[in-house]
Amino acid sequence: MNKPGIAMEVSSDPALLGVVRGAVRCFLDAYGVPNERTAEAVLAVDEACANAIRHAYGGQKDRKFRLAMRTTERWLELEVRDSGKPAPRDKIVQKGLPEISDHSEITPGGLGVQLMYKVFDNVDFCPGKTRGNCVTLRLKRPE
Amino acid sequence: MELNQTEEAGHVILQPVGEVDLSTSPALRDAILAAIKAQDSVGVDLSQVDYMDSSGVATLVEGLKACADKKKFTLLTPSEPVMKVLKLARLDGLFRIQEQM
Repeated sequence: MNKPGIAMEVSSDPALLGVVRGAVRCFLDAYGVPNERTAEAVLAVDEACANAIRHAYGGQKDRKFRLAMRTTERWLELEVRDSGKPAPRDKIVQKGLPEISDHSEITPGGLGVQLMYKVFDNVDFCPGKTRGNCVTLRLKRPE
Repeated sequence: MELNQTEEAGHVILQPVGEVDLSTSPALRDAILAAIKAQDSVGVDLSQVDYMDSSGVATLVEGLKACADKKKFTLLTPSEPVMKVLKLARLDGLFRIQEQM
């Protein structure tokens, strides 16, 4: 099924993350997501893109990832797809956020994944067998 | 992100201005670690930060760890977006936070 939406191909350069955040903010505004919720969702999508750059591509700036923003009857879907190194399973499971006493365990990538689970209503990670990752973040459409 | 720095008698205040994300947090990290090496008390004024992601949060955690128990590391007047991400990550209780300068 063809879902209405917009997609962009983005170079894996951290300097472009601000542009991505602006696009995500506009998309969520367009569908009436309240400001508070938008701010959290923008952060979580940013984390997904940052993980593609940092972990899948190991910081290489000349690769590409794709951000698709779509609507279904029930969801606003944001999908980040890269063709880099697949994320290890144990890094993408929902663990909840660390207790304060465990701060020695805090790494930006790990924190980002848990923020995605915390903010979005539905999160789907699909690392490829040999290459690529796809993460789909779904927010219930406002009534 | 711009980075302002002020120093007085054993105390440094770093003030990032703008967005702290994957592209800008390495510069903040370098500045924080250099300040910790040079001084006994480091404050990071977060009042002018209008966006922070987990790489920014991890940078602050790294600063805190680098101070261990020997040096003082304080977050000063965090802006609303900064407090929000710290709370979302449940790390607001980890830091010494000074609300008023």
